[in-house]
Formats: sequence, structure tokens, C-alpha cells
Amino acid sequence: MNAAAGLDLQSIPDRIQSEVQRAIQRSIKGVEYMASSGPSLGSTPKDILHVRGTMNLYHYRPIAGEVYRVPILIVMATTNRGYILDMVPGQSFIEFLLKRGYDVYMLDWSAPKPEEKSLRMEDYVLDFIPDCVRRVQRDSGETEVTVIGYCFGGVLSLLYGSIFADGPMKNLICFTTPVDFREMKLFQNFSDRRYFDVDRLVDSVGNVPPEMILSSFEMLRPASRAASQVQLWENIWNDEYVKSYRMFDRWATDTLPLAGEYFRTITKDLMWDNKLYNDVMSVGGRKADISKITVPILHAVAEHDHIVPYDAAKPLIQKIGSADKEEVVLKGGHVSLVAGANAIKRLWPKLDSWLGERSI
Amino acid sequence: MADKSNDPVAMWQNMIGEMEKGFNAFANQAMASPEFSKVVNQVGGVSAGAQKQLGDMMEKYLAGLNLPSRAQMVSMAERLQSIEGQLNEIKALLHQVHSNSGAPEGGYPAAPKPPRTRRPPRAGGEQK
Repeated sequence: MNAAAGLDLQSIPDRIQSEVQRAIQRSIKGVEYMASSGPSLGSTPKDILHVRGTMNLYHYRPIAGEVYRVPILIVMATTNRGYILDMVPGQSFIEFLLKRGYDVYMLDWSAPKPEEKSLRMEDYVLDFIPDCVRRVQRDSGETEVTVIGYCFGGVLSLLYGSIFADGPMKNLICFTTPVDFREMKLFQNFSDRRYFDVDRLVDSVGNVPPEMILSSFEMLRPASRAASQVQLWENIWNDEYVKSYRMFDRWATDTLPLAGEYFRTITKDLMWDNKLYNDVMSVGGRKADISKITVPILHAVAEHDHIVPYDAAKPLIQKIGSADKEEVVLKGGHVSLVAGANAIKRLWPKLDSWLGERSI
Repeated sequence: MADKSNDPVAMWQNMIGEMEKGFNAFANQAMASPEFSKVVNQVGGVSAGAQKQLGDMMEKYLAGLNLPSRAQMVSMAERLQSIEGQLNEIKALLHQVHSNSGAPEGGYPAAPKPPRTRRPPRAGGEQK
């Protein structure tokens, strides 16, 4: 070691050689990247149980020879596609659940058509979710169902659970679910009622376009897209990195439009009036008070979530009526909490150990 | 082993990371102001309305030319994806049928559902 410069002189030729090799690899792989499509996502075998407009209900084919009695219904966020939970074999939450012996169903969304612009919050909470729950009951032969909601899918699950507090929900698991919308500070500012005319927007565009949803997410971290492109170029020689980049990038940019009326309610009732937190939320005239939920609940939140900050998610466990409740704060961000290497190590085993004993 | 603090590649990567964090923090601070909300919503409101009008006009124009619009192409792609999915299902079923050629005459029964008797592993890690 050259003490004065602090440089390891012996390693310099090796470093140069390695960088030259990487530069060559970058050029080759860069061409390959442009010419090839990404990995096939969401390929765990499943049956489509029901499709109705924007609503899709899947049943994943069990892998284990013996499954837990209580089936799981995953309620996906309405802004994004469900394959974030089923990326590729070995990195699929769904596959993990199947291998651990769960019977898994998913309520996933496709883009609402222009004629579905009038879908309201009550269509999601009082129709789509109960319809899926009934179909899961019929298909599995079980009365009780565990509901897992991701992000806004968690909000929908909470609303459903509070209105149908007498069952058939057996357990509730929420991932990064906001309750106190005042704490989503940047979204609050984007939708400031003094300047954001939601009525004009919805009346003029019908469904809120996916580009608008995507740019509002990207605005939360405006430099990250450019930085990720630089990182991609640096790591383009690394097949695993590129595969992972393509999976997450494809999912993140595959944003769904939101039904206009539904978006209007989210903005007015949740973003502006914070009704869920203030215990005055109602859906289709039915009071949705989360203190009425008494089933066992696990809420998993991410330490570095830039979309749903911890302060927005924290009140869920405080306000819920359940005696058996647990919040788990894990390292990671909004997406890495549920998918990718972090999730495999942290969230999935935690969820399995919590849910197994409550699924018999 | 090379000292990471003096590795130019590591330094460059670190610099990019720090720049990203710094710029995000700076932008978040700027975006938290009411002025930002006012400007963005004025511009956004106008552009969303204009975009919608332009989209509608374009759709009519493309229909006049007997060409599909982007929305129709996206919808067609979704239908294709769904058809592909169903083809895969059929392929899997055929495969299952083929490998199960000793099936009874009355047809092939649906795959048996696994029993719902699973118990969580004991603390020692063993199943049941």
C-alpha cells in the first residue's frame, strides 16, 4: 500500500483489466438489452376464476400436497398490476406461499375501460371484494378467508373488513397501508384543495390516465429514474442486476388508470378530509370504522417507504379493534418490502410464521 | 485488497448515489411549498384537459383513416395477453392429459384438490 496516496498500487492493473472487461461486456450486453425482451413475469400457474370489467380473480394452483384450511385472498392495489407479487420463480411471493402450503387467490385489476369511469368506491368495497370472497368460499369450500392487502389494496381491505366486521374475514394482513393521509405530505401538496380541481379533472378526462399516476409517483423521487439508468449502464454486464432491473422497471411503469369517480372519492374523502383516520368514513352509506375490525391483523411497513411514509401507516394498529394485532417495521422501501431479495429474507418468513398458526 | 475509499469506480458510484439523494431531498423540499402545488395544478389541469381533447380528436382522426388508436391497441394487447394466458392453460392441461394417458373412459377428472389439513411447523422447524 502506498501510504501517502492511500492507493493499493498492486491492484491497479487488475482493476483496469476488470474495468476494460466490463466496458466490453457493457457494449455487448447493451446491444442484447435493446434487442431482447425482459423476463416473463407472473408465470406461476393459475386459473382465472372470474373476470368482470376491471376485476380479475385468479386461483393459483396448489403446489403442496396438503394445504392450510383457510384460503388467502390477496387484494392488489388499484394503481398497479399484481405480478409484483409473482415476479419470476425463486422471487415470487405467490410461489413462496404455495410452497409453504397456502391456498392462494388474487383479486387483480386490469385497466378500467372508459365506460367504467363511473365505478365508485362502493363498487370496489361493497361489490368486487365481497363477490371475490364469495367465489373463494365456493371454490375452496371454506367459510373463512384470510385477506392480504397491498398498499391501497390494504385500504380497500380495511374498508371491507370494517363494514363486514361479522365475517367471513378470518385474518387480515396489510402491507404498507396508509390510514392517516395527512402524513402523505407530498401527495397532500400535489392534491392541495386550493389548487387541485379534482372535479374538473375527472369531468374532463373520465378515468385518470396512468401517465398522471406514474408521474405523481416519480415526482416523489425525481432524480431516481435518471440515477437508475446510470446504475443500469454500469451494471449492464451483470445479468442478475439487469434481470432484476427489467422486472421492477417494467412493473413500476405498468401503472393502471384509475376510475374517475373512485379517484374523486379518494381525493375528497381520504386526501382532503382524512375520513378514515377521523373515523367518519362511509362507503355507499355504510359506516367504515376500522375499530370495528376484531380479527387478527399483521401490518408490515417499510422503514424507508417514500410512497406511504411510516407516519401515514402507523395509526392502523393503534386504531384497529383487534386484540391480536402486530406491526412489523422492516428495512426496505415500498416495493422492496414485498418483492425482491429483501422481502425473501425478511417479510415472507415473518408472514409465514404469523399466518400459519392462524390458518388452521 | 483495494481500499474502497480510493477506488475511483466506487467513488463515482458513491457520488451518483449522493447526488441522487441530495437532488431528491432538495426537490422534495421545493415540492412541499404551496407555490409548487399552485403552478403544477394550473399547468397539469390545463395539460390534462388539452391532452384529453387532443386524444379525442386524434381518435376521431384515426377512425376516419380506418386506423386503430393507442387505446384500442392497448386493449387489443391486453386481450392477446389474456388469450396467451389461456393458451398456456390449455397447453398445461393437454400436457397433463398426455402424461396421464391411462385416464378412465368417462373423461379426465379435475385435478384433485389437496386436503386442507396442514398444520404449522413446530418450533423445531419440522412440519405438522
